[in-house]
Amino acid sequence: MNCYLGVDIGSISTKGVIIDENNNIITSAYIWTEGNPVNAVKNLIEILKKDLNSKYIVKGIGTTGSARKLIGLLLNANIVKNEIMAHAVGTLALYPDVKTILEIGGQDSKIILLNNGIITDYAMNTLCAAGTGSFLSSQAKRLNINIEDFGSLALKSTNPVKIAARCTVFAESDLIHKAQVGYKKEDIVAGLCKSIVLNYLNNVGKGKKIKSPVIFQGGVSKNIGVLKYFKEILNTDVIVDPNSHLMGALGIAILAKKNKTNNIYDLNIKNIDFLTKANECKGCSNNCEILKIYKDDKLIDIWGNRCDRYIKN
Amino acid sequence: MKIGIPKALYYYYFFDKWRYFFEELNIELISTNTDKKILEFGNKYANSEMCLSLKIFLGHIAYLKDKCDYILIPKIDNFGLNEQMCSNFSSLYDLVNNLFDVKILTYEINHQKKKNEKKGLFSIGLQLGFTKKQLKKAYQIACLKYHKQLKRDMMINFNKLESTKKKILIVAHSYNIHDDYIGKTIIKNLEKYNFEIIYSDLFNAKNLSHYLSLNLYWKYCKESLGAIVLCKEKVDGIIFITTFPCGLDSLVNELVMRKIQLPYLNLIIDDLDALAGIETRIESFADIIEQN
Repeated sequence: MNCYLGVDIGSISTKGVIIDENNNIITSAYIWTEGNPVNAVKNLIEILKKDLNSKYIVKGIGTTGSARKLIGLLLNANIVKNEIMAHAVGTLALYPDVKTILEIGGQDSKIILLNNGIITDYAMNTLCAAGTGSFLSSQAKRLNINIEDFGSLALKSTNPVKIAARCTVFAESDLIHKAQVGYKKEDIVAGLCKSIVLNYLNNVGKGKKIKSPVIFQGGVSKNIGVLKYFKEILNTDVIVDPNSHLMGALGIAILAKKNKTNNIYDLNIKNIDFLTKANECKGCSNNCEILKIYKDDKLIDIWGNRCDRYIKN
Repeated sequence: MKIGIPKALYYYYFFDKWRYFFEELNIELISTNTDKKILEFGNKYANSEMCLSLKIFLGHIAYLKDKCDYILIPKIDNFGLNEQMCSNFSSLYDLVNNLFDVKILTYEINHQKKKNEKKGLFSIGLQLGFTKKQLKKAYQIACLKYHKQLKRDMMINFNKLESTKKKILIVAHSYNIHDDYIGKTIIKNLEKYNFEIIYSDLFNAKNLSHYLSLNLYWKYCKESLGAIVLCKEKVDGIIFITTFPCGLDSLVNELVMRKIQLPYLNLIIDDLDALAGIETRIESFADIIEQN
């Protein structure tokens, strides 16, 4: 039987799913990237392989996420696509009538607007990572709270504190100030969750018309406190799928299925030696950082040049 | 004699005319393309409040300072009532005068005080020892050649609106979109896709801007808005390119995104060292345009 692999390599976590012809998830995995996407993907594939029945043949591989290009080379993927498309396709497979996708990940956040299954508009956070997962986790550390307990603690609060929602630098100083004047921990945590939502709507969601059904995904969607304030502020129901963290991987697997060729892929990448060498080009004063990708000591691709000096032959 | 023209900010509005003007007077003009080194120079002299475009300008001055006899820096305040320039443009002369030890040629453009480009170029010409007659002839020829060229460029841009390909309107200040380091990198990325690329600065549409805002008084922002009003029925998407932290664009951007119902991408650029973020945004935008 045919199956398709989708891998979503984010800055914080690496997600993988294998689907069958009917887009059903056969197996999935979620591990930390730990700053080494190549290793993370090797581990991910091993985990996925364990649960994969030998009757399945991999007919397509897709990669998405910030390391999609590198991992696409490693896995010899038949499709490499950006996260926006992958998330939209994945979500549409489960919720065909979705109108708005809210996504808050570790380093970036985005909003995707759809109409009749077609993306009509989207936005990503621009310069700063304000209001993303990494801000929440650093604040959780400061307050000495386990990030998993963050949401449930926020729900206990009846009186969330007001925290500046425009910029995390101000949010953080507000937060310290509130803690120092003796607010309860749950009120501060609730205030933080609320500020994440306001920050998101002020930055990423500004000027966008949010229509229901609204789906919330990305790592932060697991935080029930943030979810509560999204519902409250948008005044509409917000759906979080149990597999919300896998939407990107699912989407790219579906895209890999759509773009399948007759190739059969094998998942034995454990022993492939994959190496990136960087050097500064001295060709002109732009000094581009040239990245040379080697697979088993063989040069397979060159990136990073602004001019046409290096072209993959 | 050599006159240095920094290839930044006002260069993209005036250089073509200056080129013809100084050509007639047999004066050599020097300028160079922006690259990483120029930006590094700029970062050295700039403070943190300055926008990327201004940093690039200072980088060009640093490059030019030992290579020419004079550097030409006009003080541009306005082109009439409600045709104001960004305040940086009127402060450039003083900024450079204080930061660098260079000889500067300058003139003022302030139509409200009846100071225009023609008078300015004449005063520079006289200062350099040319006669009024010579200057008059050079200026006439320069205007003629310049308007001919501008008309042709605008015509090409306007005709793109009738193209059968998907069309994207790039909204940005001329000094950002035509810059070799900022704008060309983005355009190059966009050219991978089969789109017609239309530039907001090659229209004569500033009078249309009042459909979007009655109160805006910045000349170049009004031109951008006018181009959007003119093109919005015909293009498939808008890319708004801003350099960080541009005060004017931050306002205009909000205005546009709230009033235009088209796929819309705002690229804010600070330092273009890592291109991955830009590539992702352009790629996903291109997907949406192709899908619709």
